[in-house]
Amino acid sequence: MRRVLAFLCVSVCLSAGFFFAFSASADDIAERAKKLHFSSIVLDTHADTPQRMLTGKFDLGKRDTEGHVDIPRMREGGLNAQFFSIFISGRILGPPAIQQACDQIDIVRQNIQQHNKNLMLATTAEEIRRAHAQGKIAILMGMEGGHMIGNDIHMVRNYARLGVRYMTLAHFYNDEWADSSTDKPAHNGLTDFGKEVVREMNRQGMLVDISHVSDKTFYDALEVSRVPLIASHSSVRAISNHPRNMSDDMIKALAAKGGVIQVNYERNYLSEEYRAAFATIAGDVSRMEEKFKKECGDDNVCIGKAEIKLTRDLTDAGKLPHVSWEKIVEHIDHVVKLVGPEHVGMGSDFDGADMPEGLEDCSKLPKITEALLRKGYKEDDIRKILGGNILRVMEQSEKVSKEMQAVQ
Amino acid sequence: MVRAILCAGACAAAGVLLAGAMKADGISEKARKLHFSSIVVDTHDDTTQRFLDGNFDLGARSSTGSIDIPRMREGNLSAIFFSIWIPSKVTGPEAVDRALVQIDAVREQVRKHPNDVVLATTAAEIREARKQGKIAALMGVEGGHMINSDLGVLRSYAALGVRYMTLTHSGNDEWADSSTDKAVHNGLSEFGKDVVREMNRLGVMVDISHVSDKTFYDALEVSKAPLIASHSSCRAICDAPRNMTDQMMKDLGAKGGVVQINYHVGFLSQEFRNAEKADPEINKAISARVMERCGDNEGCQLIEGDRITREYVAQGKLPRVDFAKIIEHIDHAVKAAGVDHVGLGSDFDGANMPYGMEDATKLPAITEALLQRGYSEGDVKKILGENTLRVMAEVERVSRELNSAPKK
Repeated sequence: MRRVLAFLCVSVCLSAGFFFAFSASADDIAERAKKLHFSSIVLDTHADTPQRMLTGKFDLGKRDTEGHVDIPRMREGGLNAQFFSIFISGRILGPPAIQQACDQIDIVRQNIQQHNKNLMLATTAEEIRRAHAQGKIAILMGMEGGHMIGNDIHMVRNYARLGVRYMTLAHFYNDEWADSSTDKPAHNGLTDFGKEVVREMNRQGMLVDISHVSDKTFYDALEVSRVPLIASHSSVRAISNHPRNMSDDMIKALAAKGGVIQVNYERNYLSEEYRAAFATIAGDVSRMEEKFKKECGDDNVCIGKAEIKLTRDLTDAGKLPHVSWEKIVEHIDHVVKLVGPEHVGMGSDFDGADMPEGLEDCSKLPKITEALLRKGYKEDDIRKILGGNILRVMEQSEKVSKEMQAVQ
Repeated sequence: MVRAILCAGACAAAGVLLAGAMKADGISEKARKLHFSSIVVDTHDDTTQRFLDGNFDLGARSSTGSIDIPRMREGNLSAIFFSIWIPSKVTGPEAVDRALVQIDAVREQVRKHPNDVVLATTAAEIREARKQGKIAALMGVEGGHMINSDLGVLRSYAALGVRYMTLTHSGNDEWADSSTDKAVHNGLSEFGKDVVREMNRLGVMVDISHVSDKTFYDALEVSKAPLIASHSSCRAICDAPRNMTDQMMKDLGAKGGVVQINYHVGFLSQEFRNAEKADPEINKAISARVMERCGDNEGCQLIEGDRITREYVAQGKLPRVDFAKIIEHIDHAVKAAGVDHVGLGSDFDGANMPYGMEDATKLPAITEALLQRGYSEGDVKKILGENTLRVMAEVERVSRELNSAPKK
């Protein structure tokens, strides 16, 4: 196994060397990267922009000086397929969670309708391709947390009908049927009902997202699901040892069944140095967070803004290290080395996390393509990472769904 | 005067027919041909309640209730609005959750019977279903309390396929007065008017069955699209507040709307209503027996209520109401509102059916009776379904117009 890998590496290095020596100046690569990036389907599986829509003061159509995603910046960054996250606090359960989730789905759908010259709701790989062919941005929906089904399978079906195409089995807290990676285990992974939820998701063509879940929940889902899993926004634990990230073993198991890990750009998940420093001041930070919650009420955008300002101040004061955007490429490359280019993609966590320096918003995405090209990645492989891998899993999901729906 | 001449002509024709082609079930060949070549639409059926316990199969002929696929086929019921209903006393997010459970139950029944039933959301889809030899299933939400004063929820219902909403059920909701509750909003509140406007924009028909007279007139004034009364009869014949006065029907018709005659004996027959009023103990006793048999299973309550009421009729404790009363109401409504403004809203599986209209198989009797009364074939077709299809198409047109109007 090692031999094969070593051989592969030699040949890649050789071809990269060849390439540099004979045909490319640095500018050529920049030019090629630009062409490649702007002709590709660039698909991001996680942005919390709906939280901004909820404030009622946000216009997706206008370039904003805050936040990470809006139509002008998506255009500038070549981001043409985006999963917007439907998210409410994991402390809200039952019928109120259902109603609030419906409201958020509605607000996304209304935003799409409002900007229908630029945006199109997409629910299949084919629709993403159609949007791309029409020069429109495909908007999809993912639900971040199983608590929003109100512990009732019927909502899996209704959310699917409303256009939701993935569901993260848990958020920061355990829900009624799945353990989270950041809560005390209560179910030993997935409960029997949780397994039923996964099967129903397969039947509905809703991707099973294992970001946020405990390792045991991940392995349970992997066993139950008939469709490859995705981690919509998770990074590599071997680089930053955070429970939200995936271990190499998990990534291998995910990939062996055809799944994809979509790298999260949050500083804590990208950098071990940052994570460790942050952990030492976590007490102070959580005290501050309590204060923000008091000041902001339930306005998640307000809380997020205050948190980012706090970490910026702490970085300026030397209490937290700088984190460069190049860390993203390091995470992607780690996965590629581990399992190949078919099992990694991008799940920024835009508008929901603390972005690294150099990737302040979605307009900066072409840098990733250029960095991968400079690393010697093949254009085809880069296209897979930019979006092709998720399109593949979506197509598989659609196929399985069709088969399962036909059974009465 | 005109009517007398028409009747004489029709009676002569009917006489010829009766002599030549009447079958054992009392349906002439002419009526049979007309009935089975028509699109028969029923705008109100509570069969959904039966779906909820998981034991009812729409595909199997049932010995109880009024609706299943074999009986719909036998009676050529071509398009059916399944009612999404929970009692008025259930409010808040729980009402939303329970409505969504029922929407899912309807859609799952449709999925399980792909060769017989197809979900329809437009007049064109009903016609297309008919072409394919399938029954069109539609959904109406019976009571505004199920949106929990949230337009996002209303839009979610519309996105899930709901095509009418009754503004109230038997109790007032937060924004509209019911005909069977004490008025508190003086009709529609300001928010209630917004609900009607949003329904217009979404192409969800505004249903004024159950609402107070003032709510009806408020809705009539606000709505840009024609209204429907999905299951209401004539107050001039049976003085129930749930029925419509001649003036209301005339005003409804003048704006293009349609009143769909309800077959419930308590709404058809003044005699039945008087008997119920004269001895309140009868209804109390029926309720007690229903509760004993069904507990809080609402599907069971509705079916058992009808069955036990029939026992009382058989014992002579309540008067027997014949299906001819339905024809009397249709004819009266035609006189009040015009033949373009009357249709069928049975209340099957949710009310007490008259003799001769026990279930969907009996529907050809309506066609036969109307022909015998001298109605032209074209007018019978209108009453059977074309009037409702016209209103649906008009509601869709208004919706398109409102959505394409430039935003203020």
